[in-house]
Amino acid sequence: MHTWAWLAWLASALAALSATRNPLYLLLGLTCLALVGVGQPRDESHLPSPFSPWKFGLVLVGLAAGFNALTSHYGESILFTIPGKLPLLSGAVTLEALLYGATNGLALAGLLGAFWIFARALPVRALIGLIPRAFYPLATVTAIAVTYLPATLRQFQQIREAQAVRGHALRGLRDWPPLFMPLLVGGLERAMQLAEAMTARGFASLGEQAGLHRQTAPRLALLAGLLLLGAGWMVLLGGWSKPASGLMLGGGAGLILAGLWALGRRYPRSSYRPPRWRGSDTLCVAEALLVLGVTLLPLPGLGAEGLWYTPYPKLALPPFDWRVGVGLLGLLGPLLGQGRSESAK
Amino acid sequence: MRSRLLGLAITLAAAVSGLLALLYPFFLSDLGAGRAAPGQLRAGEMSVLMTLLLGLCVLALLAEAQGHLLSTRLVALLGVLAALNSALRFLETAIPGPGGFSPIFFLIILVGYVFGGRMGFLMGALTLLVSGLVTGGVGPWLPGQMFTAGWVGLSTPLLRPLVRGLQRLWPREAEKRVGFTPELLALTAFAIAWGFLYGGLMNLWEWPFILGPEGQSWQAGLGLWTGVQRYAAYYLVTSLVWDLMAALGNLLLMLAFGPPALRALRRFRQRFVFEYSALILSENSGAPAGGD
Repeated sequence: MHTWAWLAWLASALAALSATRNPLYLLLGLTCLALVGVGQPRDESHLPSPFSPWKFGLVLVGLAAGFNALTSHYGESILFTIPGKLPLLSGAVTLEALLYGATNGLALAGLLGAFWIFARALPVRALIGLIPRAFYPLATVTAIAVTYLPATLRQFQQIREAQAVRGHALRGLRDWPPLFMPLLVGGLERAMQLAEAMTARGFASLGEQAGLHRQTAPRLALLAGLLLLGAGWMVLLGGWSKPASGLMLGGGAGLILAGLWALGRRYPRSSYRPPRWRGSDTLCVAEALLVLGVTLLPLPGLGAEGLWYTPYPKLALPPFDWRVGVGLLGLLGPLLGQGRSESAK
Repeated sequence: MRSRLLGLAITLAAAVSGLLALLYPFFLSDLGAGRAAPGQLRAGEMSVLMTLLLGLCVLALLAEAQGHLLSTRLVALLGVLAALNSALRFLETAIPGPGGFSPIFFLIILVGYVFGGRMGFLMGALTLLVSGLVTGGVGPWLPGQMFTAGWVGLSTPLLRPLVRGLQRLWPREAEKRVGFTPELLALTAFAIAWGFLYGGLMNLWEWPFILGPEGQSWQAGLGLWTGVQRYAAYYLVTSLVWDLMAALGNLLLMLAFGPPALRALRRFRQRFVFEYSALILSENSGAPAGGD
């Protein structure tokens, strides 16, 4: 799927999960995310994940529910009471507090899950491609780092095996320098070889590019933008004038973006095989717009007020509007798009 | 000279604006007052704004700092070092250490100390970016992480005058007797301080969302002093032990790897950072006539 279609999906997922605290809608949204996550093949350019996001999400929900139940003593459905005068803990533990904590945990787990699916589904080169043109030198550094990371892990394994053959065993921190120092020195040697190869192939980060990054006008725009941002932020925090702070923040952001645009416009971007925009991408964007519509817009006749549900003071069944539910099914966009593109093949 | 001053002004403005964004819970006035659930919705809005503001500050800082990458050698060096540090972070995620222990900071500090603050900033920010890209850790927390880790590297040149002062006060005999140099002492103290500071700054991102007892939780309009008191109480209860592990980890790593890594980085600095210029020979004498 196209990078911009994935971005639209991510924006819709974040908006939907941030806009509701109704556990029914949250569960529906999370089910959609889980289906997309399971149905999406991992791109080969990613390293295997060091932890399971699903287990992490469950732990997060459990922790949030437990923490809120033990520390927030509001609500009428008392499960049990912690006696004594323990700071923070003593008092009634209520079902409402437990559910409220779990709901917050569900939203947080969903937000993390959406980012995780997005970052795993896209190839690393597509993610690097999102780096703006103004950051061309940094994009090169990032591409080198991403390319060298698996090689570094392999080299670490080789050094460990070579040291083990010599009788080296890992017992404590003192045994780590014989592993780390060859890794560091070997990496620095590789950097030297890489630099020579880049120079030999005409990668010229000298002269012209350095001159580009020393342009005065874009840098002055950056400086003015930063000063406006800082001043606008202080005006907002002080609560002095909301329109003025909005203008200053907007103006500052605009100046910074304009400065970056001016820095980047001299770097042409080319792609060996540019990704094609398919019908499935359009479908995914349309579904993302549907999700944004039912969760953010005050559409007439739609029970969107049930998005913000609170179990306090006494637990009641959360409201559920089937039209909002159908709209949330738009989060399945990548899955449906994938199904269409596979059947087209 | 003018370009350097402009660069310094951009760096300072971005750093101050970013810090103000991170410290917003202490400065927020009574914006949330008058709502049914004060603080909750406003905290969400402010947090989104804070992330955007911080993201813009990071972008401006990165744009300025990358002007330092003037040669292929530095580009390659930074790429490979960022890969190495991201590998350490990957190993840490796979085999979690105790509490907030993280092996990435000692190398960021050493790179900033040896190669300069801007390289340190890029090293810190790119380590978090690259490890986030390859492990699926890209999220709204990333600008804050990049900014704070970048600051770890950017602040290391502050150590140099301190080290020079210590070296004048520290007799050679004491160096031999104690077993480590004033430089290592300063670097270790710096690493310990950042162990606590990094956690303390990153907590500010989530603090407004945490519902807790009155003495520890955030509310809009608290005022600076009450806000700091409540945050200190919250930090002591929830994060001190966690960050203590981070600081202890930094201490051990700096003591174990600091001296050899410092030697290696300095040795390679001579190979990576040098400048050459054309030597113009005089036609008659064959002696150098100029060039710089």
